[in-house]
Amino acid sequence: MILSALAWLIQDFLQVLVTSLILTPEIFLLISLYKLVSEPMPQRRAAKWIWFVFCGGVLWDLRWASVPGVSGLLNVAALAAVCWVWGRTPAGGRGAVLFAAIAGGAHLFSGVIHYLAWASPGQAAMRTFAVQQLLMIPVLALLSAIYAFKASKTHV
Amino acid sequence: MVSKLNPILVNTLLAFLCGLLLLWSSFAFPGLVRAMVDRWGAALYLPEIPALELRTLVQATGNWVMERKGLQARNGELELENLALRTALQQTLAPEPQSASEMIGARVTLRYPDAWWKEIRVNRGIRHGVRVGAPALSDGFIIGKVVRVGADYAWIELVTSSSFLLAAVVDDTWDLGVINGDDRGNIWLLYTPPEKEFQRGMIISTALVGDYLPPGIPIGKIWGQGELRDGFMPQKVVSGAHLTQLYTVQILHTGDAGGSSD
Repeated sequence: MILSALAWLIQDFLQVLVTSLILTPEIFLLISLYKLVSEPMPQRRAAKWIWFVFCGGVLWDLRWASVPGVSGLLNVAALAAVCWVWGRTPAGGRGAVLFAAIAGGAHLFSGVIHYLAWASPGQAAMRTFAVQQLLMIPVLALLSAIYAFKASKTHV
Repeated sequence: MVSKLNPILVNTLLAFLCGLLLLWSSFAFPGLVRAMVDRWGAALYLPEIPALELRTLVQATGNWVMERKGLQARNGELELENLALRTALQQTLAPEPQSASEMIGARVTLRYPDAWWKEIRVNRGIRHGVRVGAPALSDGFIIGKVVRVGADYAWIELVTSSSFLLAAVVDDTWDLGVINGDDRGNIWLLYTPPEKEFQRGMIISTALVGDYLPPGIPIGKIWGQGELRDGFMPQKVVSGAHLTQLYTVQILHTGDAGGSSD
């Protein structure tokens, strides 16, 4: 959770840097999802993560949005969905590609809801949304590579 | 029964409930939400200071670069304008050269950039007594010779041209050589013996070779040695005239000694 908390601060730091230019990718959400799938996690501990990402989302909204709660709800939905998919996938199929797919999907889902929630979803908003999703790719690629590396070490 | 429920599902539902409650309260109690936003913003003020400073620095740097770029562009424009004005002023102020008894004053009317070191055109021609082969001088030094001439104009091949060949003598040693250019602004004294040691600053003058070219017209000074070639040691020569700023020249009046024209 310390890593995720740091990710929240880094995301906030980057958002301060690029305010009014672009939206930073949801680094906090991606790293939380990575931590959730990369470590063996009992259900009770996973339940704590749900509250953790919820709080992270609420704090993000309190800092960057006028309506607190939306990001918290989206983070919880994303985490629950990832938990559900990951739990139902056989151990052999839980690879970096699956992680990238479901984490990327969760990020995209969160981005789309935020985009639709914006007061004026015009061309500029669409561009902002697209840039955020594009910026997500390197973060996701890095996390997937780390996941693949850790998985190969564990299996060997 | 409660203990058998999936804790992830239960906590997800509870978190959803809390989230919806928070959403509702943000509309129902906007003052409360504003207070929370303010407090959280104040708490983040310190951690965000480096980012704010960095952002300010980046913006300031960007502004500085843009401003500098603009100033440089403006400076370039002003320099060009200044150069154009200075050239126009010099051309206006340059007095019409007076023709002496032996010299024809001429103003340079054309100098192609791609043939900068090869030739110039002047505004004096046959009607003024200019003949092919006549030497042209500037500041008292030979800068070329007439190669084509019309009624009111003449083309002068410069000493820096690679096709320019002129017999010359080193005044101090009486050694003979041939002056030749390289189309890049350099002048060489060719065919000088390698065993001879020429000193920098020795004056080079024209040698007696034809009717149109009297001997003893200064060309320039020896500046250094070149590389041994075909048993000879070429000497680098610097012209005594300011070859980059030729506005007027003097053409030696050769009378009616002949010469072709175009």
